[in-house]
This record gives sequence, C-alpha cells and structure tokens, in this order.
Amino acid sequence: MKQFATQVGMTFTAAIVELGYVFVLLFEALRWIFLGQLRHQPVRMAHVFHEAMQIGVMAVPIVAILCMAVGTMLAIQGLETLKPYGAQGQVILGIAVSVTREFAALIVGIVVAGRSGSAIAARIGTMMESQEIDALRAIGIDPVRYIVAPVLIAMVIVVPALTVLGILMGMLGGAIYSSMELNIAVLTYMERSFDVLRAWDIAQGLIKSVIFAAIIALIGVSNGFQVTGGAEGVGRATTRAVVLSVSFIVIADMIFTFFLTR
Amino acid sequence: MTQNTELQDVIQVDHLNAWYGDRQVLKDINFSVKKGEIMVIMGGSGSGKSTLLRYLLGLNTPVSGHIRLLGKDITGMSHSELHDMRKNMGVSFQGGALFGSMTVGENIQLPLREHTHLDASTMQIMARMKLEVVNLAGFENLMPSQLSGGMIKRVALARAIVMDPKILFFDEPSAGLDPVVSAELDEMILKLRDAMNMTIVVVTHELESAFKIADRITVLDRGEILICGTIDEVRNSNIERIHNLLNRKPRQDVINVDEYMQRLTGK
Amino acid sequence: MKYPETEKNGFMVISLTGEVDLNYSPVARQQILKCLKQNKNLLVDLSLVEYIDSSGVASLVEGFQLARQQKQFFALVGVSRAAMQVLHLARLDKVFPIFDTIDAALASQ
Repeated sequence: MKQFATQVGMTFTAAIVELGYVFVLLFEALRWIFLGQLRHQPVRMAHVFHEAMQIGVMAVPIVAILCMAVGTMLAIQGLETLKPYGAQGQVILGIAVSVTREFAALIVGIVVAGRSGSAIAARIGTMMESQEIDALRAIGIDPVRYIVAPVLIAMVIVVPALTVLGILMGMLGGAIYSSMELNIAVLTYMERSFDVLRAWDIAQGLIKSVIFAAIIALIGVSNGFQVTGGAEGVGRATTRAVVLSVSFIVIADMIFTFFLTR
Repeated sequence: MTQNTELQDVIQVDHLNAWYGDRQVLKDINFSVKKGEIMVIMGGSGSGKSTLLRYLLGLNTPVSGHIRLLGKDITGMSHSELHDMRKNMGVSFQGGALFGSMTVGENIQLPLREHTHLDASTMQIMARMKLEVVNLAGFENLMPSQLSGGMIKRVALARAIVMDPKILFFDEPSAGLDPVVSAELDEMILKLRDAMNMTIVVVTHELESAFKIADRITVLDRGEILICGTIDEVRNSNIERIHNLLNRKPRQDVINVDEYMQRLTGK
Repeated sequence: MKYPETEKNGFMVISLTGEVDLNYSPVARQQILKCLKQNKNLLVDLSLVEYIDSSGVASLVEGFQLARQQKQFFALVGVSRAAMQVLHLARLDKVFPIFDTIDAALASQ
C-alpha cells in the first residue's frame, strides 16, 4: 500500500515536472519568436517554411480523405436518425456545425499528431543521441530558437489551414451522400451549409486547431529532448509523443467544447 | 604578476563538483591549461571525463565551483556573454555530431553563418580551406551519411576550427578508428596547435594517442583527479590506479566487507 | 575604416595592419576586390599584420582568384612568420606569389 502511494506520488511529481518543462519550452520559444530579432538571432523563416511543408503539404491528401469520410458517415447516421421524424433536411445544419466546430479540427489534430508529432520527437531524439543538440549549443545556437520555434510557428499556421480544408472536405462528403438521398444538387447543399454557418462556428474550430497545434508541437519537442538510451529511447519517445498528444487533444477538445458551446 | 599568470591560463577549473542525481560524478576538480598547451584528459569509462568536458563546454552549469575560459568565469555568464565566448571555442564531438540534413560544406559553414556577417563567398572559401586542412578537399557537397567514420571525425574537426577558435575541445579523436586514421588525426591536432597556437583539450582513453600529443595529462578516476602532470610524471607515478590504467589492468580494490554486504543485501 | 593604399611603379599596394580578423577582413576584401576591378596590379603588404585569421586569408584567396581570371599581377609581401603558418596550414604558402619586400616583388616583373 505504501509502495503504491509512493508510486502514485512519484508519477504525479514527474508529471508536474514535465508540465513545467513544457511551459518553459513554450515560454522560451515565444521569447525567441518575438525577441530573437533584437538579439540578432532571429528565428529563420526558411526553417519555418521547411517545417510547414513537412507538416502541412504532405498531410493534405490524408486530411482530405479522412474528413470526407467523416462527413459521409455523419450524413449516413444523420439521415437514418432523422428519417422517423421527417427532418432529414436538418442534416445539413447538423453536419455543417459539427464538422466545423468539432470534427475537422479533431481529425486534423490526430492526423498531424500521428504524422508530425512523432516525426518531431524522433528527429529531436535522434539529434540528442548523436550529440547534434549539444553541437548546436556548443556552436552557440539555441536549440529552442533553431528547432522548437520554427516547429511551433509552422504548426500554428498549418494546422488551422488544414482544418479549413478539413471543414470543406467534411461538408463535401456529407453533401455527396445527402445529395443522393435528398435529391438536391451538391452545389445547392454546399450553399445551404454556408448559409447556416455562423462566424462563431468557424472561429470555434480554428481556436481549437491552434490549441491542438501547440499541444502537438510542444509534446513532440519535449519528448524529443527527454530522450535517453539510444535507438530504443527514440522509439519510446515517439510513441509517447503520439499517445500523449492525441490524449491531450481529445481532453482539450472536451474542455473547450464545454466552455465555447454553452 | 597575477594578471600575467591569469592571462597565461586559458582554462582554469576551480573546485568543480558535479552530481548526477545522488551520485557525485566530479569531486573537487582543479586544473588549468596554458595558452598553446595540449592537455589530454584521460580515464576509463565512468571516470567522469565526458562529464567534465560538458562542464568545460558550458553545456552544464555546475552547482559548485568555477570554470574560467580566457580569464572569464563561464559559470555565471549571461546568455549573450556565453554566446560571445563560444566564438572562441571549437568542439569536435565523439561521433562527429554532424547535422544529417546538411551537406558537409553547410555543416562547416554553420558557425560562420550564426556568428558573422561575412560575405557568402568568404564563408565558402573558409570552409573549403578547412577541408584542405583536414585533407578532405572536394567533399563539401556530400551528405554526412555518405562519409566513413574517419571522414566524419575530420569534417567535425573542420567545423570546430572554422572560426579559428582560441580553444579547441576534442572528444575521443581516435575512438572507433583504425590506427592509421587516428594517427593522422593526432598529427592534425599537433599541426593546428603549432600553426594557430590553439589551446587544445583532448578527452580520450587511448594511451598511445595521449602520449603522442599531450603536453600534460590529467588522469581522472571515479570523478577524482589522480594526477595532473607531464607525460614523464604520469609514466613515473607511483599511484597504483594509474599503473593499472597504464598497464590496462582491471580495477582491484580493497573490499570493505560491511559496505559490500550492505550493497548486496540492501540491509 | 580603410587600409592605406599607395601606388608604386604602376602597382597598387594595400597595406593591411593590425588584426585582420572576422571584424576587419570584410574591409580588406572590399578594398582588394575594388582595386582589382579597376584593373590594377596589386601587392598586399602584410608586414604590419599582427594576426590574420582564415576570414582574412579567404579574402586574399578571393582576390588572387579574381586577379588570375583578369590576368593581373597579385602578390603578398612581407608575410610574417605567424601569417605564414596560417597560410601553410591550408598549403596556401605554395599557392600565393610571396615576396619579402615590395621592391623584390616589383623587380620580379
């Protein structure tokens, strides 16, 4: 029993320490982003661009396919549930709102966490193991400025952009299926979807996506920096980064939905 | 007079202590290195020599003790002071630590890009000159993954000296290399000191290489300095642990029965 | 700042002084390249140089290459022992035309 309590206590302390570390990283990254220019050590736009390409452009096809699939599923379920009430027309509102507020950001968050959160953790972990991070510091290049800040900026730009794509593709998926069931043109469906959407719906989705972006970036880099123990350690950090990012994304989503929707 | 001796000591370590968790890995380390001197830090694995290097490089900040480089205490330095100090320091890491996403040439030019506003063509010529120095002319467009172990070490050396540092740190120059290549690296270290009057700290466990290049040798064992002296002083030392190290004998300690039993049984 | 330039028998002489390091080598480079672009034969006098680092040497290399392309005369004069060792490290002592004095360089032509 005592052992169990010790275990719990230690895990809890470790979690607090790690959380603190994540916030230090965030703070340092923001400081470099806003004050780097003054110190003549700017965050390089070329690095941001490179990261954005890696995170964003390569994720476009998968985000498009998954969001379309989710839109289609929502249409199928929505039409089935609403049929007894003769309210199939409402499915347009349902899909538009839920995809915009929830699903697009969530799907994009999970996809990017899986693709890029893991890749970032693996890359930094490998650099830790090969002493490349030490070499950066020894040369006088702060790794937070050189790696963390570009990743953070790229994420915060790219994830919302992918979310917009996800929203469009989700509604398109819903439109294609519903158009057959409801006998309306895809274009008409899309127009009606945009009519029912309010700016606040889109804002909710985008605010969430920015939060998710920061979660993926920070958890990815912090796990990378904590790598010890060779290739095996890199593997562990990678897995951990994905599991933690996805968990925090879902939890953050719930919390935000609670506060933003009510 | 004190002024003068201080200028002479390019590296000065005072009462440096370091812990790793509860374990003390460096115990009251004191030594100094003069300008143009080659100091070899020797010791087996776990002796604390790698840790000591990390402190000398300013990668770790000591809890107690001071490290002065070029007369300035780096232990309490601000970020920007340390950044400026790094212009005078070059490091070649054990595995090379070349950036895998950059070509050899970009790797070597990186310190210049970060610290100087030189013209791009000047930087390129400087990088190529350093490749000439390490006998790797024409390799600048290769990626690190295309290089052999010996080449990686030499590129790392080229990157370490691209800013013409006053102090060069070299971690395990001969580890994992065949004797011919490691002898070549030893020659390069001597050549650099002679031409640039660099102060050089080499961390190694290779006796042969140490005796060939060192002006003085510091022998570390379990976090303590056993001896710090010239090659002859180390060779003629009466300390048994140094003898064991020189003759590659395994450690044979006197066993304290009480402590030993406690370690085994945990009681 | 500007390094002193003099003219002798139709040759430009740029006298580098003090420490030609990361801070001052861009000045030297500018002057050397500018001089060569005016199609003048050039001697770089290093006798007053206390220290020259590889950025300084790189500037000399760039100048020498431009002179070769334009078929102009380019030589180093009064290379100190310290500077010679820096050149020797990259085997550049065997590449540059090097003379003890300005007069010796002029006499060679």
